[in-house]
Amino acid sequence: MSKLTQTQYESSDDELPEEVAFDESKTAALKSVKDALESARREKNILKEKRRKRQLLFQEQKKRKCLPEDLLEEFDALPQKQPMTKDNNNKDEEATEEAKKMVPKSLQDSYSVVRLKDESAAKTMQQSAMDFINSRLYGPGTKRTTNAEHLSLQKKRGLNQGAAVEFVNKKWGADHKVKAEKSNKRFIQKQKLVSS
Amino acid sequence: MGEFKIHRVRFFDYMPTGIRALAFHPINERMAVARMDGSVEIFHCSDNFFQEKIIPGREQCGIEALSWVGERLFSAGLNGEITEYDLTNQKAKYTVDAYGGPVWAITGNQQGTHLAVGCEDGTVKLFEVNEDKIQFERNLDRQKGRIFSLSWHPSGSKIAAGMMDMIQVFNVETGHSIHRILVDRGVGTSRSKECVVWSVVYLSDGTIISGDSVGMVKMWDDHTGTLIKSHNITKCDVLALSVSQDEDSLVAGTSEGCVVQFQFISVVLDKDDKEWVRTRTFKNHTHDVRAVAEITTAVVSGGMDTQLVVRPLLDKIEVWSSASALRKIHFPHRNLVSCARKAGLMLFQYPSHLELWRLGESEGIDIPGMSLSIKSKPEKRLHLKVKGEEHIRCSAVSPCGEWIAYSTASRLRLYKLNFDNNNVSITKISKLPKVLSSANQLCFSSDSSHLFSSSTMALVHVVSLSQSGCKFVGTLKPKSGSHQAIHLLAASEDGKWFASANSDHEVNVYNLQTRKVHCTVPIYSSAVSAMGIHPTTNCLFMVHADQQMFEYSIEQKQYTDWSRLVHRKGLHRIWWERDTPVTNVMFNPQNTSQVILHDMYMLCIIDQSLPLPGEKTQFYNQLTLKSLPEEQRKSHSHAFKVCKTFKEILCVDLMSDQSLVVVERPLTDITTQLPAPIKQKKFAT
Repeated sequence: MSKLTQTQYESSDDELPEEVAFDESKTAALKSVKDALESARREKNILKEKRRKRQLLFQEQKKRKCLPEDLLEEFDALPQKQPMTKDNNNKDEEATEEAKKMVPKSLQDSYSVVRLKDESAAKTMQQSAMDFINSRLYGPGTKRTTNAEHLSLQKKRGLNQGAAVEFVNKKWGADHKVKAEKSNKRFIQKQKLVSS
Repeated sequence: MGEFKIHRVRFFDYMPTGIRALAFHPINERMAVARMDGSVEIFHCSDNFFQEKIIPGREQCGIEALSWVGERLFSAGLNGEITEYDLTNQKAKYTVDAYGGPVWAITGNQQGTHLAVGCEDGTVKLFEVNEDKIQFERNLDRQKGRIFSLSWHPSGSKIAAGMMDMIQVFNVETGHSIHRILVDRGVGTSRSKECVVWSVVYLSDGTIISGDSVGMVKMWDDHTGTLIKSHNITKCDVLALSVSQDEDSLVAGTSEGCVVQFQFISVVLDKDDKEWVRTRTFKNHTHDVRAVAEITTAVVSGGMDTQLVVRPLLDKIEVWSSASALRKIHFPHRNLVSCARKAGLMLFQYPSHLELWRLGESEGIDIPGMSLSIKSKPEKRLHLKVKGEEHIRCSAVSPCGEWIAYSTASRLRLYKLNFDNNNVSITKISKLPKVLSSANQLCFSSDSSHLFSSSTMALVHVVSLSQSGCKFVGTLKPKSGSHQAIHLLAASEDGKWFASANSDHEVNVYNLQTRKVHCTVPIYSSAVSAMGIHPTTNCLFMVHADQQMFEYSIEQKQYTDWSRLVHRKGLHRIWWERDTPVTNVMFNPQNTSQVILHDMYMLCIIDQSLPLPGEKTQFYNQLTLKSLPEEQRKSHSHAFKVCKTFKEILCVDLMSDQSLVVVERPLTDITTQLPAPIKQKKFAT
């Protein structure tokens, strides 16, 4: 609370308010305005400084990336000339060599270079045609079974009847066996929990 | 006979590809077979179905249809290109882009002037067949939807096109559609799925026969555009149709693996009204049948189970002989395995890579008939991938095991191997002579100093191999004008003689010192399926596709006495009845009168010093001989000693340490990697 209001609360209600000189309040108001202006100016200056520094930094980086100035002048002059002399050729080669050294070409991770030839429309059409055939012959709606089942059926109904191929040949149905083992383990554990 | 240690090899994971299209040429009696990987094979139907020519495919290439136009063979695939094949040199001549998207069907008219292709964008494009190329002529009216199948009317004035849910009949001259025939969808749940007309056939009396994905074979009348009759032959798709030359028999191939025959006969005897009646069902396939063809006396079918099945039609055959039995062709009639005899290495040829394996070693006492325990397992020494998209056409490894050569359709590669202890290092020979651009067949000389490669115009190029690289030495040119590609080569042990056999049944013998033709063996009516030159007597032993054998003495330029004896007496009936050709001939260095041969189901040693079996003698007499006492064995034994222990043999070769290598490929192992078959409900399962 300001001084003025403080004195108000301290004194009683009967007394007259204290006299505050006009000058005092004027100076206080002016001061606050000046302060505000000052702070704004300071902030602006700080920002300016920051910007200036950043600009300098960028310029320096750009200078580092760019070729030396004399070569740049050379390049400006070259398109105007017609058949290049040998000296110019050498300079050009030097320039391109330096350019190669100085310009590291890098792409972002998600970008890649692809030839137009490879990503032609013909390939996508071929792919869509093959997908169509696959979906008609092997897709949903067709009643397909596995080769293992087919061979097992043949064994069951054939002349020399035998067990299904998964049991005879170790390689077949290896993943089925693994699954079966896992589920067996789970079952045993469950049983143990229940009984214990 | 002889005792051999046998290496039984089952680690060659040979995987054939499914058959996609068949095309029969009635005059030449050749059957062209297109496979899913883009390779085309030509079988000679009257020469025991010998696989005469193989044109290798490429990666990412599929063929959808084949068509003969005169003597020329065309194919079209989903990559949108039409390819013509050069059958003399066994490669693709050129490709033409159809510019209509993926091409689903290709068919030539009977007059041999035009080729029609059905494309993805709904157009039927007509190409004019010129002398050297085909040229686009015009499009017929464009339709909305893919065109799956095409068929020309024999007069060449109309084309029937099978599309989704309908068949369009076009007038070729105007290009407009005459009829739009709607094909019914299935009943029940399959009503929501569109019906694909997988194949159409146009008969000369105006009947259009279609096979669709509902499982129906429907006969339509093209005059009115209405249905005459429909037959439900299966619950799944009817994928292929083919009509015979005189249009009285039709065969249909289904997804279940059945081939159904329809015949145009009169239902009541002696009445004239004929109709299409379903007659026979053949269940010879386990997976989808994607192509059928009817030749004069048999029905040929092929599908996703990679076998070519030839089922003779018994009503068309006069004499019931072994030729009228069912035939299944599983393996190629060429060697895919080459052995380095002195080094104990084997080279396996896959479509896009090569594998070099070293054989294992065994230990233990040798008792005949017992299997020995393995001391060291066979191991893979090298896996060589081919750069580029083309498939390997032929490959070879030198007998010493230091050189590997392979060829694709456009280039040949030669590699030198170095073995130090357990490491294999391989260096590519980059500077090859320009003549070695591509080879139909490769062969190394027995001392590994020369490489023979057969190329275009039936020439054989000879290059010498040494530490510094390879140098062109010369070319062996045949005398006669036949330019057919050479499919078999054989070099003699002493390096003096060289033999080559081509698809025109010509066998030339060259003298390697003068590099000129020494003699030509008289042409026999059947193709040579295997040949070899004897190491000591320098006799050329040839086995033909019809199981006939010849022995030709190179130095005396005439057939040997043993060969003449075989022809006078004739071979045993059981030998003639074998249905797979002999693919390799070897000689036993320890016993000069023994010749070792094999085919897919048997291994045979022919002892030329023993008498030939007569007609009544038991052919497979090994077991009976074992049961007889020693003294009687000699009097009862005959020249052919057959061992049937090994089945589904891909290759048998003899190593220099007197051990035989038998490379087997069980058919069940191939079945495991095939695509899924249709579920069939059988009683009590």
